Amino acid sequence: MGCCFSSDDDKNSQDGEPNERTTLLGNPVSSSSSRPTSEDYRRRISYPLSKKAEEAAHNRILRYVEANLIDISHMNSQLEQQEYLDRAHEYSHKIATTALAYTYLQKRPFVLVDLPAPEKGLAIIPIPWSDLKLLNNTCENVLNALQEIKVEHKEELVVQFEIH
Amino acid sequence: MKKYLHEIMSQIDGIHAVLITDRDGVPVLKAATESAPELALRPGFLTTVGMATDQAGKLGMGKSQRIACIYGKYQVIHFNRFPLMVSMIASSTANTGMLLGLEAELSSLVQDLKAAVDVI
Repeated sequence: MGCCFSSDDDKNSQDGEPNERTTLLGNPVSSSSSRPTSEDYRRRISYPLSKKAEEAAHNRILRYVEANLIDISHMNSQLEQQEYLDRAHEYSHKIATTALAYTYLQKRPFVLVDLPAPEKGLAIIPIPWSDLKLLNNTCENVLNALQEIKVEHKEELVVQFEIH
Repeated sequence: MKKYLHEIMSQIDGIHAVLITDRDGVPVLKAATESAPELALRPGFLTTVGMATDQAGKLGMGKSQRIACIYGKYQVIHFNRFPLMVSMIASSTANTGMLLGLEAELSSLVQDLKAAVDVI
């Protein structure tokens, strides 16, 4: 049980001496000189915002909202039949008459780009399996033989060169 | 150009139609087989997709580039190439990844058509 109350009385500080009630930072509400107010800001601007600038700001906001507003109310609007046919005809006529570079129509070969006629090489009868086996075996034997080559010297390899 | 579109359609099983239209659903170039659903080729359907693409770009995730709609029997893939829209209608069993990969093959064709449409 208890009560708490506060008082705005400054009786104790009237004599000017600091006490337990004296604020350290000063009263931010009552002091007008320490903090600038909106009035101060307005006074700092020596001229008021022109109508044109205000309109431009409004238009900017409107454009931003228009660009970002999701609006599906006009989803069902459709072209008239006649306009649809006219436009389709115009497009087909324009495409037919415009000279377009048909580079995308050139077929790029998908494999063996460096060979001039890959289909001829692929059409040749392949090497028989027995020939391939023979080639592999022969190469293995040659490799083994090369590894077994040794040099056996019976005389001195380095000989003094004598002049008589 | 229609022949080129038909060649592209023959690369993937299940494609029924490839359409390049403007934002109002008017076809600029169209290639379709007999099995393409007629309702999906109407301008009303294509206009709705174009508007949905534009509105989807306002959802805060950037501009919408592709929309894939998978239905029971069909799937419809749309590529946003403003002011054109590329739409592909295929069977629901077709390979969606390969359909999306066709965007690169169609890009040069769409670029040329864009130039023709801009002049109008």
